[in-house]
Amino acid sequence: MAQPLSLKIGPSGVRGIVGESLTPQLVTSFAAAFGTYCGAGPILIGTDTRPSGEMVKQAAIAGLLSVGCTPVDVGVVPVPALMFHVRAVGAFGAISVSGSHGSPEWNALRFIDSDGLALRVNQAAELTDLYHQGVYPRVGALEMSDVRADMTSTARHLEAVTRAVDVERIRGKAFAVAIDPKGGAAALPARQLLESLGCRVVAVPQVDRARAFTGAEPDEADLAALSALVRTSGADLGFAQDVDGDRLSIVDEHGTALDMDAAVVLVVQRWLDRRTGPVVVNVATSRMVDDVAARRGCPVHRSRVGEAYVIEAMKEHGAEVGGEGNGGAVVAPVNPCRDSFVAMAVILESMAVSGHTLGGLFGQAPRYAMVRERLVCSARDIAPSLRLIRNAFRGERMDLTDGVKVMWPDRWLLARPSATEPVIRLAAEAPAESQARSLVHGLLELLSPGA
Amino acid sequence: MAVRELKIGASGVRGVVGDALTPELIVNFACAFGTWCGAGPVVIGRDPRRSSTAFRAAVVSGLLSTGCRVIDLGVGASPLISFAIRELGAAGGIAVTGSHNDASWNALKFFGPDGALLNAAKNEELLDVYHGAGFAFAPWDRLQPVEAAPGIEDRYLAHLAAGIDVDAIRDRRFRVAVDFTNGACGAVASRFLESLQCTLLPVNAEPTGEFAHPPAPTPANMRQVAALAKCFDADLGAALNVDGDRIGFVTADGAALSEEYSLPLSAMARLRRRPGTVVTSFSTSGMVEALARAHGQRVIRGPVGESQVVDLGLAEGAVLAGEGSGGIAVLPGDVAYDGLLALALVLEEVATSGRSLADLASSLPNLVMRKRELPCPPNLVYKVIERFRRHHAKDSPDCTDGVRLEWDDSWLHVRASGTEPLLRIIAEAPDRERAEALVDDAAVFARRTTFGHEGS
Repeated sequence: MAQPLSLKIGPSGVRGIVGESLTPQLVTSFAAAFGTYCGAGPILIGTDTRPSGEMVKQAAIAGLLSVGCTPVDVGVVPVPALMFHVRAVGAFGAISVSGSHGSPEWNALRFIDSDGLALRVNQAAELTDLYHQGVYPRVGALEMSDVRADMTSTARHLEAVTRAVDVERIRGKAFAVAIDPKGGAAALPARQLLESLGCRVVAVPQVDRARAFTGAEPDEADLAALSALVRTSGADLGFAQDVDGDRLSIVDEHGTALDMDAAVVLVVQRWLDRRTGPVVVNVATSRMVDDVAARRGCPVHRSRVGEAYVIEAMKEHGAEVGGEGNGGAVVAPVNPCRDSFVAMAVILESMAVSGHTLGGLFGQAPRYAMVRERLVCSARDIAPSLRLIRNAFRGERMDLTDGVKVMWPDRWLLARPSATEPVIRLAAEAPAESQARSLVHGLLELLSPGA
Repeated sequence: MAVRELKIGASGVRGVVGDALTPELIVNFACAFGTWCGAGPVVIGRDPRRSSTAFRAAVVSGLLSTGCRVIDLGVGASPLISFAIRELGAAGGIAVTGSHNDASWNALKFFGPDGALLNAAKNEELLDVYHGAGFAFAPWDRLQPVEAAPGIEDRYLAHLAAGIDVDAIRDRRFRVAVDFTNGACGAVASRFLESLQCTLLPVNAEPTGEFAHPPAPTPANMRQVAALAKCFDADLGAALNVDGDRIGFVTADGAALSEEYSLPLSAMARLRRRPGTVVTSFSTSGMVEALARAHGQRVIRGPVGESQVVDLGLAEGAVLAGEGSGGIAVLPGDVAYDGLLALALVLEEVATSGRSLADLASSLPNLVMRKRELPCPPNLVYKVIERFRRHHAKDSPDCTDGVRLEWDDSWLHVRASGTEPLLRIIAEAPDRERAEALVDDAAVFARRTTFGHEGS
């Protein structure tokens, strides 16, 4: 029996459960709508390693061809490489077939514009309108294009990443790096990148690539195997990418898993040392970024949560570096999207140039503790709940960019509606975990007293 | 509202690529077929039309989503798909091919587990699944990768060779001109003819999917290969349809034979080797009856179309089934129309009889066929046919498919087109006057019936 509500058509694309809601019919029509939106030109299509990838890809190819586009099959690729390749070859757009961190029964289409970025909210709305109208300008048999294959995207992306850092300095250190490839699209290119940077790579053993694919989100709990490997192998650090390759978790030389925000903090730190300038992070990102930037005299701007918002704000403020606290660091001059490959290279460069260990580098910024909670909340109760918070903290410094963020000199509190679920996400950051926890508990008490 | 050029019927689904034949429709049919097959292996192949690439993707996606194992032959002729289904024990097959339709069309042909096109009953089951749209989607962990079938072409060629007198053909070192119609057969046919030690004079051999001429192997479409055969001293020539299911022949002196000759010419070798019943359609030339009679065999006629003719042939235990369109199936082993096998039979006949193709053709009775199409509103077609039947009640008409009247040396067939609002009138007689008179009389009768109704 199909789960109700397993299909999600929204600004971030189309997500559904294979065999239930993500049917080939739906994918074909959405691809035809996207082809209509982009115009009759080359459209890249890449997948992750899920067993359903081929089914979804073929359906998308059929839809794209039917409206005169030329689908370019780029094979299994990490998302940042796909985004990079869109600009590199001047494609009209791209479709990423990836369930990202969803469990293996999920898969999704993410639509990427000709600028190599995910469709912005208003663009996604136009695409959804085209889909709902359901009338696509089909081409006749004689105007139909053919499928092309292009397996160069990963290599070109890695080349650009290595060009952006001081390869010789990194190679000179011959770092030992532990990785947890998780069987995703990022697994193979990660090893290639690290080896090209002269690193000795040890990997958490993988079972059968496609079937054992867990699709787990790289949170701290998920890093146990990697932490153990760092300790036993004596590696200088451990990296774990999410299956898409856009986000990065880090384990230091002691085998300690760092906060999810570590990637963006370390990348901002290094990039500002190379060149000062404004920084953009989302409202939920650790204030460690503010401390790192302040020490270098650089302003930090905050955007709504979501890659597209961060990138837009980076453009607006002329920021080269930024990202999101969930492990997604952005270095715009190299690849203007969340890119864990860029992050790995920049962090290794930082260690090589400074001579610090990873723990030493991360220890340079004051540490805070972050506490996160989710509160299930029906859609119609979200706005009143947020209003309640604003009233409760009247007079405090507030940022209303995304939900309600209340700020004090050394701590903050955030309540914002989720873009994908009927949930309010709560977060607080303070010098001590107990302080952060009490801020979040205060909010929970306010919103659902007695719960 | 413009007429959508789409036909969902007894012979699968076909239509004009664009607004009529969409990838969503193809995905739905593939899901229906996958559901009907119950996840068993499904063999697919396509002709080299550009639109076949798109519809192949739609077919693969739909089949995978229902948990089917997909065995993709790539660009492959319909008879090869049929063979692979039987050879690999598959649950069915789909050919993405517009076959004899022009390049703006495309279609899906559905094969059952026996390798034959779905018969009427199976086709209705498939349509019920399609219309019910209750597809059996498989969960993610039952989705399979697409497979290839390495070596299947070699096994097909070995199978073809096993059914004919290879040595007799090899001894003759034939020169054969073949028009491949830029279709799916060029490579496999070249290998086959090479193995028979024939010198191949090819034309339109590249599988571009852009056709040098309309694909049906009619004399008008065989002018190139006729000229080639004549100028380069071929022993005979042939034209294969885009997906290899139909064939037409030309003689050494460059005369293109009507595709009506393909069945009786193939029957010569087949009946000599394996005497038995021949099955054909009501609209096919009586030449095959004369030939079968000479071999002491009979011909059974049935409704038009490969699935119906083959189905009848299997039911009757026939040794050969075919039609005037140039499609021939060598029953009971080969249950799909196969142009290459027909070519092999004709080569064998030329080799073993020691006679030229022109000589063999001239040994068949000289019959003249006349065809006419009358536009007829769909609501009047059956009225016309019914009146025609009553008018000829004393001539004991066969009413299986329209009305068919048969006399000693001639016949007349009046039927509704399966694809267009047309009445089709076909007659055959020993001379032109008689054939034309039969067709003209039927047309006048039909016009009288529809007079005053047209435009109403």
